[in-house]
Amino acid sequence: MRPILQIVSLLALIALTLPSIVFLAGRMELNMVKWIMLLASIVWFVTATPWLWKDNNAEKQDVA
Amino acid sequence: MDTEQQSQQTKASSEFEREPVPKSALLGFKSFIGMYAGEHCAGTELMIGPLFVAAGVSAYDLIMGLLIGNALAVLSWMFLCAPIATRKRLTLYYQLEKICGRKLVILYNLANGVMFCFLAGAMVTVSATAVGVWFKFPMPALTDLLPNSVGWVVAVAIVGGLIAIVAAYGYKTVAKFANIASPWMVLVFLAFGFIGLRQFIIATNTDIGSLGDTWQLAKTHIWKGGEPLPGQVKFSIWHVMFFAWFCNMAMHIGMSDLSVFRFAKKSWYAIATSAGMYVGHFMAWISAAILYAYQLHLDPADTDVLPGPLAYRAAGLAGLLCVIIAGWTTANPTIYRAGLAFQALSPKSSRFKVTLITGAIATLAGMFPAIAMKLLDFVAIYGMILMPMGAVIFVDFWLIPKLGLRSFYAELSGHGFNWAAFVAWILTLAICLGAVFSIGRWSLWFASLPGWFVAAVLYIVLSKFYQKNNPPRVSA
Repeated sequence: MRPILQIVSLLALIALTLPSIVFLAGRMELNMVKWIMLLASIVWFVTATPWLWKDNNAEKQDVA
Repeated sequence: MDTEQQSQQTKASSEFEREPVPKSALLGFKSFIGMYAGEHCAGTELMIGPLFVAAGVSAYDLIMGLLIGNALAVLSWMFLCAPIATRKRLTLYYQLEKICGRKLVILYNLANGVMFCFLAGAMVTVSATAVGVWFKFPMPALTDLLPNSVGWVVAVAIVGGLIAIVAAYGYKTVAKFANIASPWMVLVFLAFGFIGLRQFIIATNTDIGSLGDTWQLAKTHIWKGGEPLPGQVKFSIWHVMFFAWFCNMAMHIGMSDLSVFRFAKKSWYAIATSAGMYVGHFMAWISAAILYAYQLHLDPADTDVLPGPLAYRAAGLAGLLCVIIAGWTTANPTIYRAGLAFQALSPKSSRFKVTLITGAIATLAGMFPAIAMKLLDFVAIYGMILMPMGAVIFVDFWLIPKLGLRSFYAELSGHGFNWAAFVAWILTLAICLGAVFSIGRWSLWFASLPGWFVAAVLYIVLSKFYQKNNPPRVSA
């Protein structure tokens, strides 16, 4: 399950950034960029939380 | 919070607080990269970038100033802070206690806590601007120093109150959430830059075929230079460079990050700070600046620096979410740290209550837009206030033994208040502020550099008298 979540969350980050690059190239409307970014954000938080939360537990929190 | 929870939290946060970090607890290089990249991509970056534009900075001055200034900041971490941290492996507070005595550390904590409160207040302000997008109440203008509407006060009270309650109940939970949000936030900032750039291309009808064309657009439309907006100081390359160098002065030259790098295996790990500097203090500032410059391009009279509307215009709800999360996740540890600093004044008081009270003070501060709108000034003062103690630590470690004096004199002598350090601190601050008042506001961003040398010389001279006249109460 974990590798799948990791791949999906990585894809979410790509989906978060790519539309703005395509918009910069003049090949996408801004409204579409905004919707994709929102969707990618939701996917990121849903899929990254289970595995990153676990990783954070293993890390030393007191460093800061 | 019950007693068990409190004791667990105290135990966790007090790990190695009064002893050198053992070899088994040292951390690898990667831990520091992640930490710095996340920590320096904060809600306040959305204020700083626009304020550069408001200061009338030109494209060359901004880019070169940030490149050089951030490099100087990284070098300060590498050559001033980390070498001492990895040799002594003590927290800032414990090292200061050994040098200055417990009573002076309490005073330092008070200063630190107050500054943290104001900084958290600015972060609450940033988050509250996102609420304004939904509820459409009047929000503060660039020149406003006081709250300007009931809606604004209520929004800050709700946002700040929630942040304070969450910080008091579950600091560590939010810290974990911040780690998850961090890569997402960095990429949203990057998207802000791309979107803003395209909006400029469309608005100016520019034909971009090369990097040279982009640079031309940046010079002629985004960072045009010229006069600053009313109430702002004109920023040159020197201002940008010194601001980038000194905006984290408390952490590197001021030695706050001794507490971080005591966990580093090698002092060169401090190069990891470049992840924070060039992501947060370069890319994020530039992206935020582009959004504000676009707003000014559309309507030169619309000078309000409001991260919420800026982000919403660029990236819609994802942008708004970014403003709220960026403000929240960075205000959370700041309020918590301020609470810890205040708790040192009264160690028996409950951390929960202290954090709540600290959050209330930060919320009150956040209602006054003066701090956020004058963030460039505030950050310079923040560094200036804590910088002299960094000079004291540096001198105590490297120079004092070579001059025939004793390091860690408070610990050695059994005195609770090192007057040499106190006078060096206060006198340096008075000299720096006096210089700024007499020379002019523009010098605020530079005064800390000569100030560091003043503090170092004062501490050496005063230590000679102090150590001679205050012999150790206990044998070495």
